[in-house]
Amino acid sequence: MIDFTKLIFAGLSLGSVYALIALGFVMVYKATGILNFAQGGLLMLGAYLAQYFINGLGTTFWIALPMAMLATGLVAAGLQRTIFDKLLTHPAFTVIMATWAVLIVLEQVPITLFGYDFLNMNDPFGLAMVSIASVQVFTIDLWTLAFAAGSVAVLAVFFFRTRMGLAMRATASDPEAAIAQGIEPRLVHATAWFVAGMLACLAGVMLGGGSRLVSPELSHVALRAIPAVILGGLSSPLGAVVGGILIGIAEVLTAAWAPTLAPWLGKNLHLVMPYFLLVGFLMFRPQGLFGQRQSGRV
Amino acid sequence: MKKYLLMSLVAMAPAIAAAAELEEVPGFDGETITLGIISPLSGPVAVLGLPVTAGHEVWFERINEQGGIAGKYKVKLLTEDNANQEALTVQQYNKLKNQVVSFSQVFGTHTTKAILPQLRTDKMVVAPASFDSYWVHDPNLLPVGATYQIMAVNAFAHWLDTEADDDPVICGLVRDDPYGEAGMDGIKFVAEKRGLEIAAEVTLSQSDQDFTGQIEQLKSAGCEMVFVTTVPPQLARIVGNSARAGFEPRWIAQWPSWHGALLDSPVVDYLEKNVWLAGEGTEWGNQANSPGMAELEADIAAHKPDQAPNVWFVLGYNQARAVTAMIEKAVAHGDLSREGVMNALATMDNVDFGGLIGDYHYGAIEKRNPPRKSTVFGVDREKPFGLKSLKENFASPEAAEYSY
Amino acid sequence: MSSAETAAVTARRMPSLSMPVLLAVCYVALPFVLGNSFWLQVSVYAGIAAIGAIGLNLLTGNTGQVSLGHPFFLGAGAYAAGVFGQDWGLPFWIWLPGAGLVGFGLGALVGPFALRLRGNYLVMVTFALVFIGLHIFSNWSAVTGGAAGRGISVPVAIGPIDFADLFGATRDQCYFWLVWGIVGISAWLVFNIINSRPGRALMAIRDRELTAEFVGIDVSHMKIAAFAISSAVAAVAGALYGAYVQYVSPVEWNLLLGIQYIAMIIVGGIGSVAGGVIGAVVITFLPHLMREVAGSLPFVAVNQSDGGLITVFALNQILFGVLIVFFLVVAPGGLARAVSAAAGRLSAPRRHK
Repeated sequence: MIDFTKLIFAGLSLGSVYALIALGFVMVYKATGILNFAQGGLLMLGAYLAQYFINGLGTTFWIALPMAMLATGLVAAGLQRTIFDKLLTHPAFTVIMATWAVLIVLEQVPITLFGYDFLNMNDPFGLAMVSIASVQVFTIDLWTLAFAAGSVAVLAVFFFRTRMGLAMRATASDPEAAIAQGIEPRLVHATAWFVAGMLACLAGVMLGGGSRLVSPELSHVALRAIPAVILGGLSSPLGAVVGGILIGIAEVLTAAWAPTLAPWLGKNLHLVMPYFLLVGFLMFRPQGLFGQRQSGRV
Repeated sequence: MKKYLLMSLVAMAPAIAAAAELEEVPGFDGETITLGIISPLSGPVAVLGLPVTAGHEVWFERINEQGGIAGKYKVKLLTEDNANQEALTVQQYNKLKNQVVSFSQVFGTHTTKAILPQLRTDKMVVAPASFDSYWVHDPNLLPVGATYQIMAVNAFAHWLDTEADDDPVICGLVRDDPYGEAGMDGIKFVAEKRGLEIAAEVTLSQSDQDFTGQIEQLKSAGCEMVFVTTVPPQLARIVGNSARAGFEPRWIAQWPSWHGALLDSPVVDYLEKNVWLAGEGTEWGNQANSPGMAELEADIAAHKPDQAPNVWFVLGYNQARAVTAMIEKAVAHGDLSREGVMNALATMDNVDFGGLIGDYHYGAIEKRNPPRKSTVFGVDREKPFGLKSLKENFASPEAAEYSY
Repeated sequence: MSSAETAAVTARRMPSLSMPVLLAVCYVALPFVLGNSFWLQVSVYAGIAAIGAIGLNLLTGNTGQVSLGHPFFLGAGAYAAGVFGQDWGLPFWIWLPGAGLVGFGLGALVGPFALRLRGNYLVMVTFALVFIGLHIFSNWSAVTGGAAGRGISVPVAIGPIDFADLFGATRDQCYFWLVWGIVGISAWLVFNIINSRPGRALMAIRDRELTAEFVGIDVSHMKIAAFAISSAVAAVAGALYGAYVQYVSPVEWNLLLGIQYIAMIIVGGIGSVAGGVIGAVVITFLPHLMREVAGSLPFVAVNQSDGGLITVFALNQILFGVLIVFFLVVAPGGLARAVSAAAGRLSAPRRHK
């Protein structure tokens, strides 16, 4: 039998990327109630920008990363100001389709700028690895996990300790009361999108770095993180991280075991496993593991 | 006497003109022959489709510079994008079919399959840019190069003859589609001939991101050789995760798994040590082994100096050469109609690719014989496109036996 | 509803009587005008898309149930056509309704899942359906041919009338008449559903679900029925697609296809039968028209290696996105409302004479 510990570590590292992506979804949903499918486009844009700062402008990784995060965050905030701000009163369907439309447009930007060739991030992590409990782990995966955990901590402080964070929670739970309190919802929403853009970029860089390449398919990975958001609860940052990691582990375990234990379930079951979990949670616990019960169930 | 000669020349002139002047047909206006190209110029596979298409363009620019096909008919290419999607391929095919004599390139396996029913009714000939064995005996298709099966057979046989011990553990990590299955068929063929078992066959999908589950399966099966069919970004991840897992079998990767960008990636050390490519032809720039390479480099210098070394460019260039041979045959028969081109395909001679790839024995469709020779490459960052030939243009006994 | 009211409704939806006549003329004449050209084939695709969009509009536009899961039902229809028409050798008048029935059954099966959710969550579950469908289509080789796909060679004849060979017309011309005939039938069916008592109940569910329940509408049954009918229509579209193209493989039934169908009803007009048809035509034709004009735009290249600021493909994708946002935000009624407003303005004076 295959070493269980190794699979758990692999699931953790895959899951930590999903967690970072899921955090971006949660950020926008929590503040604005929008399920933002454009997250994948921002992720792809962020990865290509970071790659360009490193390979094109020759900056070091640790300067390129915040630069790309800032740029992606500004793009995201710009999208909120120009498009999604106008859709606040529209039904969920309209807004979701608008995010899809934005995704389709965003995906073309890096390709038009940088072409279809595969690119190397040239990050400092490379194939560097450390040994934990006799399991080899990529340094970049540890960083990803640390970034995910760090982001949750920063967001917790942001939501509970800063004026903007409190304003965001207030705007989400009762927009009119928040306005009466002198909170400017537009600023709040733009901030949420800005943070989501930064998180998308971070996820994109970690996904295109290490032993991976920067390629146009990056944006599709975000769709694989959506089950994580539902698992964790749409409005819980902690849930996003836990959900991401659970989905990562589920995927890796299924890939390793399903072909021998349940070959009749078909080839590549691991790819569809997260979506079965998604349906299961929607049926029986739509608020997710950490969400509050006020969801869209009738 | 002089007058007599002149008179006889005048009398003969119409006959000469009749033989020389071909009837105009869709795609041929009496001067220019138009050929179609349907290739992924956008989407994730554009990284392959763009260089293949460039190969066609460079070849035909050279032909036109020499005066054209049969010395006088210039070639014009009409190119459409299929984004590697079936529905789009069918639509683009229908868009072009009445404007072209034949198709110089249709990229992809499932896309070619999608237009096959129409090729039958339209009597259209297409050169598919993919190495599937389905094409070998198809009267509407003009394949070039060894098939995925033959490349896998030769590479695997080379491994068995050089590195393998007496009881080798052989495995596969293949994409769950016709591309993945094709190469694996070759591996299974050799295994059966030599009385070996496949210890593990694991699948992957094009949307896979992490391969630990699959790699741990292969590792626990004790694989000494893993045949892998995938695409370059995934190959980087697969070998990266294998390096982490301390799993170092001999990887034999199917041709399209390779891309020069992998040379800049941190996995390059692992690639050089453990990965072979089941490919064909010769190293880029190796003019000594391949006279065709000198021509190719001269053509690039003349027509597309910024073209980087790329095996996909070579595929397009070779396809265009085969198509030219077929059209020349049709011109010789004096018939560029669709029936004429199909007839030319069924009667054309062997085509010599100047050593860029093995010669293809065309002629009667049911006797068509693709090259049995292929090449095993290792990875070497010093080489153009990162490929160094380990054993070049050879045919293993199994490759000679393989029947389609 | 009295007959006078029905007539008034019909008059409002069909701005003038000349419209049906015009459509009938187009239906008969277009295959001759377009000849055996590429544009005739695009018109056949547009017709197939129109059938699918009419089905989706009933579910999403009239009942308010947003579904990205349309590709699943389209695919199921195509494979059903392959099994019934080819593997079992059944005639056209059985395999086509049979595919519809398969779609109906699958819709009724999936409906109850979707029933419990709304808004973002309903989108999620139909989103998952696409991936689950892809898994089934790639693995159920006996029916789908697995990842390699399968050929579909089916008869399209009712008795002596062969829709693949009508009075010496080409296959494409025949398919045009066949497909657009079915567009007409689907439009007529769905139009009648919408303008019947159950149809008004569906719209009541869309607009105010609790009120609908309060006035005695069986919301669950109505929603499941809408799902099943919409899926049946989608499956018919998928079956026709398979029959026309003659080969399908699993990768076709992907998420992007579901988004394209949603885009069709947004651009055409949500909740309007004509809107679904108009949207399908626009979304199907647009990329090909763009490709035609691209040559005359200075900064657009067909091929990335040709230089130019942007490729036709990228421009098409961007235009596709911009159209969706435009019709969502600026003109939410879609083209159908714009067209009928324009037609109403033109015909209004005449009617009041």
